[in-house]
Amino acid sequence: MAEQKLIKLKINEREVQVPQGTLVIEATRRMGTEVPSFCYYPGLSLQAACRMCLVEVEKAPKLQTACTLVAMEGMIVRTDTEQVRQARKYMLEFLLTNHPLDCPVCDKGGECELQDMVFRYGADSSRFVEEKIHRPEEKWSELVYYDAPRCILCFRCVRVCDEGMDVKALGVGMRGANSVIIPNRQDHLECEECGMCIDICPVGALTSGTYRYKTRPWEMAYVPTVCTHCSNGCKTTLSVRNHEILRSNNRDLSGINGDFLCVKGRFGFDFTRHAERIRQPMVRKSGKLCPASWEEAAQAAATMLKGVYDSGGKDAIGFIGSNRASNEENYLLQKLARTTFGTNNVDHHRTADYTGLITALGEHAADSLLTMKQLYESKAVLLIGNDPTNQNPLVAWQIRSGIRHFGAKLFVINANEIKLKRKATQFVKVSAGQESAALRWLAHEQGQLAPELVEQLVQLKAGLEAVSDVAVVFGAEISGAAIAMLVAFGSKLPGKTRYMALGDYANSRGAADMGVLPDRLPGYAYVGSPHAHTSFEKLWGCGPIPPKPGLTTPQMVEAAQAGKLRALYVMGANPLAHFGTLSLGRDKLDTLIVHEMFLTETASVADIVFPATSAYEKDGTVTNTSGEIQMLRKGAEVMGPRSDFDLLRILSHQLEKLGLGKAFHYKNPAAVFEEIRKTVSGYNVQPAGLLTGGAEPTRVEFSRNGYAPYDVPVGLIRPAKDTLFTSGTLGRFCTMMESLPEAKA
Amino acid sequence: MMELSTALSAKFEKLQTSYPVKRSALIPMLMYAQDEFGCVSDEMIAEIGRRLDLNNVQVEETLAYYSMLHRKPWGKHHVQICTNVACMLKGGNELLERAKKRLEIGQKEVTADGVFSLEEVECIGACTGAPAMQVNYDFYENLTPLKFDRIIEDLDVGKHPAPEPVISGALHERHELETPLISRRWGMKDSHKIDVYLMQGGYKALEKALKEMTPESIIEEVKKSNLRGRGGAGFPTGMKWSFVPKDTPKPKYVICNADESEPGTCKDRPLMEMDPHQLIEGMVIAGRAISSHQGFIYIRGEYRYVLDIVDGALGEAYARGYLGKNILGTGFDFDLLAHTGAGAYECGEESALMESLEGKRGYPRIKPPFPAVVGLYGCPTIINNVETLSAVPSIIREGGDAYASRGTPKNGGTRMLCIAGHVNKPGIYEVRLGMNMKKFIYDVAGGIPDGKKLKAVIPGGSSCPLLAADEIDIPMDYDSVAKAGSMLGSGGMVIMDEDTCMVDMARRIMHFYAHESCGWCIPCREGTTWLRKTLERFHAGMGRVEDIDMIADLAKNMLGRTFCPLGDAAAMPTISIMKKWRNEFEDHLRGRCPYKSAGVLVGSR
Repeated sequence: MAEQKLIKLKINEREVQVPQGTLVIEATRRMGTEVPSFCYYPGLSLQAACRMCLVEVEKAPKLQTACTLVAMEGMIVRTDTEQVRQARKYMLEFLLTNHPLDCPVCDKGGECELQDMVFRYGADSSRFVEEKIHRPEEKWSELVYYDAPRCILCFRCVRVCDEGMDVKALGVGMRGANSVIIPNRQDHLECEECGMCIDICPVGALTSGTYRYKTRPWEMAYVPTVCTHCSNGCKTTLSVRNHEILRSNNRDLSGINGDFLCVKGRFGFDFTRHAERIRQPMVRKSGKLCPASWEEAAQAAATMLKGVYDSGGKDAIGFIGSNRASNEENYLLQKLARTTFGTNNVDHHRTADYTGLITALGEHAADSLLTMKQLYESKAVLLIGNDPTNQNPLVAWQIRSGIRHFGAKLFVINANEIKLKRKATQFVKVSAGQESAALRWLAHEQGQLAPELVEQLVQLKAGLEAVSDVAVVFGAEISGAAIAMLVAFGSKLPGKTRYMALGDYANSRGAADMGVLPDRLPGYAYVGSPHAHTSFEKLWGCGPIPPKPGLTTPQMVEAAQAGKLRALYVMGANPLAHFGTLSLGRDKLDTLIVHEMFLTETASVADIVFPATSAYEKDGTVTNTSGEIQMLRKGAEVMGPRSDFDLLRILSHQLEKLGLGKAFHYKNPAAVFEEIRKTVSGYNVQPAGLLTGGAEPTRVEFSRNGYAPYDVPVGLIRPAKDTLFTSGTLGRFCTMMESLPEAKA
Repeated sequence: MMELSTALSAKFEKLQTSYPVKRSALIPMLMYAQDEFGCVSDEMIAEIGRRLDLNNVQVEETLAYYSMLHRKPWGKHHVQICTNVACMLKGGNELLERAKKRLEIGQKEVTADGVFSLEEVECIGACTGAPAMQVNYDFYENLTPLKFDRIIEDLDVGKHPAPEPVISGALHERHELETPLISRRWGMKDSHKIDVYLMQGGYKALEKALKEMTPESIIEEVKKSNLRGRGGAGFPTGMKWSFVPKDTPKPKYVICNADESEPGTCKDRPLMEMDPHQLIEGMVIAGRAISSHQGFIYIRGEYRYVLDIVDGALGEAYARGYLGKNILGTGFDFDLLAHTGAGAYECGEESALMESLEGKRGYPRIKPPFPAVVGLYGCPTIINNVETLSAVPSIIREGGDAYASRGTPKNGGTRMLCIAGHVNKPGIYEVRLGMNMKKFIYDVAGGIPDGKKLKAVIPGGSSCPLLAADEIDIPMDYDSVAKAGSMLGSGGMVIMDEDTCMVDMARRIMHFYAHESCGWCIPCREGTTWLRKTLERFHAGMGRVEDIDMIADLAKNMLGRTFCPLGDAAAMPTISIMKKWRNEFEDHLRGRCPYKSAGVLVGSR
């Protein structure tokens, strides 16, 4: 960014230096003095409606609103004079005239901005003796309730819905003191149900269907963690009482997402308490899954695996990792496979080709991956494929915010008229599957394309060449060799082009980074690379890791159902549903062991099922689709299930007892992360940032080392095609989500 | 898709393509749709939304803002009785009570047979014909109980009683102290027709401006004329025009603010109904001065017949080549469109008017930037009152100096004044700026009826601090009235005699501002409503001694702290009444109002 000119002004007799263009309210807040406000909200358009931020400015005839006043050189501002104090006091007195003051029964009591303001700046008594305006409460959706009398008409909800979400589901009805907020369908809402309006409401006017009248804010513990739904990795704070999650939001505006959360992040946590949750280990006896003790199940699992290993050899067992489990758990799974069983038959359900992107970037991988913040600050975004509004809501939010705040230009290549088209500078429509052909043309001007399409691509190319530092964001439509073409095109654009591959599920990227791949070791090191093998074998103290790549997930499932693979160990995945022939079930497979939360298609046909915890019930780290690591913290607790970390640890001990491999002696996931920091390329980040709730970008040091160009077979990358209202297995068990009419559409 | 009549469908098609931005057609479309269907239905909201690419909450929030738009049908004849200050002084409240009894319905109710509905409304711009009402869009003025009953009886049997031919009080014998300039054609037969206008030297100023003058010299001439904004604020017009940036690639716009709704004011209405071409000519010249090619006349929704007259005049001007492409062969293009409001006082505030013209709720905008730089559709815009723009042809024709010489230094020209309330000759007069106020009230307007004493004067619309009888011996120019502690404002004078209850006056004024507050900012939204309720209670005899100081205190703490001047407009008259007639508040503490009811309906005595 260009050097900003600094200007000097005096606030409360103190000289302050701020960048030119800073609003006085920001300048004042930055020096630690509060100027109160309701309607001012950083990132949203200015209102100057609440008049709480009136300040005295020397030479101005009357008080000025600090939220619209741009700091000028030599300006003299006072925020704590008698006149200012009086103005605030009256403003609050006015505001309370039609406010019901039902704080004792209001959800917001205790964390209400109006309460806080009156406490700090208000009068100690009210002179209002007239009748208040009353209106009944309205239910707008299963999630959103509106209580008009409490509403102070700051219009934050209307703005965040329009400007922030581009949904425009809220408006203002009536006029004057009768003004109210109105939903878009007469008496109810039809929208993305993100709940941003509830979150941003400073008072208890908009309340949440999942939280209202359940608790007082001071009765809960607040646990910062990461949303477990899509791959964007929004930070969220779980409000927990008696081990139960009652609310999820990010009101402290920290993390990569600020206050943004989508419907899943904000409301999608009730799966943790779903009645069908598996709560104890189960072992198949005479064809039926029966509850078993932990000891019995663990011993049975170890014995079965040892049996297959002894009779079928190293490659008779396959391991499928999880795109929901933590980095530590995925790391341990592939370590177990490679060290204890000596096989590369380890993979996960891939939804984006991270391997392809890292490989294509090669030596530039470390500094060419786009973070969420960089995406927001980009001057231009090239979006190929995917529908971020539905599949990657934070990515869509970052793009929209960039357009709004910095005038970023958005170029879209897509086979569908996705919602972001409305914000696009240019939208190029291709037919489904034609994305890579369009890329080939952009990169090499090769290929047979319709002249109209070529014309549009010429324009798109010119548009991108006119800006610098383009952010390239792409979905699963682009994989393997097409990514190489994309990088070839991007590297020719002016400035620094950065890339983000859009996957699905909370830890898809982490699973790939951890080497839960048949052809790559942790940090994408090639299986077969002598240098990588030596260093990992030394570190892990294990026998030789086979130099040949193992089976991919589709190959494992196919081999298993066909009876060619004898045992399959599945951690938090549902491969039979995603890759298998469902009607076949497990078919000829000898042994199937699964860690799961629910009896999925795969778990229901397993020999042994271990009840697993969700991400909200464990510690660890996850890596989002943009390669930023964040910490998971245990918020809720459900009786029965254990984390995959615990389960793998137990299994390793049982296997050691049977003489197979070495038991894992990690005390906790943090100990595993210590090892990951040392061994996995890009993960040597400072823990301080993570511990304080921040995100640390990974910088993968990668070298192609003369390996053959990379490509992926058709069918290996399978996007989840989730919408805003689905979330793989988790979504199927979110009662809240089921109740929304939008989810059924 | 909804079934629309051919006429409405054609109207929609035209409106959809008339504006630089489609959404601007929203309010006119809602108004015309309502005219045809009686109200705006859900289907209509969807239909209009579809046509304008708006979702239904966008349509609905705009609709909900304007008091003339409604979701449920009114009666076939919607009787709207004004009880605002001028009408109240002449018995508007009693008329309303009579109507309630006669029609057997209350406020905003519809008779069982669906023929009548009743609404107490705010100032309809018929102050010089008070008490007045509108039935649908028709004006009926100088009402007496008998006249009112007859109108209702006629309507009831399907007859259409003739509405006022022109606004009452505009046509009268000219007093020797009058200086008719922009009102000089009033009363001539067909003065609204282009032929009459041309015969009277019309469009000569335009010819001069286009052929002999440069944009700079036009602005220079207007500066010389010392013309100041006639809408109320009195800002020098030439200076306002000179703020428009010259080297901008954006289009520029000229807007005529014809949303006349300041209580007591009804001068723009006759200026448009009797001399629309003068306004059109003024606007084209203004367009030339700032190199704009598109103008809008935003006319308040209640003035539908005026809009029709202006539309007719626009048609004539287009047909004769005074509007459109290549005007008078000079290569200058200017398009002009008359646009209807839908009932919102706040839209008289210039930035709120622009929001409204863009098809949104009439919320005022943050200033700066000012409209001259960022106005309509974010483009440079000048916005002037009807009277201001109507003076422009005279200024160009005879020169700025000649125009200025009619007034006092810094206050050029003549001023339209409406005088209503307790005077013998209520009416609309054109006088030199600087005329003595007392002389005007007693000589020109004939003094106070029945030999009563004067108690108070609203000098220029209800937003102005009130003057007491001993404060009116002052010249009527912007600066002198300001020195006397009030404002010349919009030229709407309201006279109160000695029997007027000033508590009731304060109550009625606050009732208006509470009704018209847009609800954007806290102090105005909550303050006006609080004060209205307290003043109502106080006037009803339930006041407490501490209320007196509180009312003044609340008003003072609204003053200068609201988003737009509406809060000040509510506070200023209240503060002045509290200060000058505090004794009347104290008198009310003894129980019921000790004053004769403020208004007495003529004929009911």
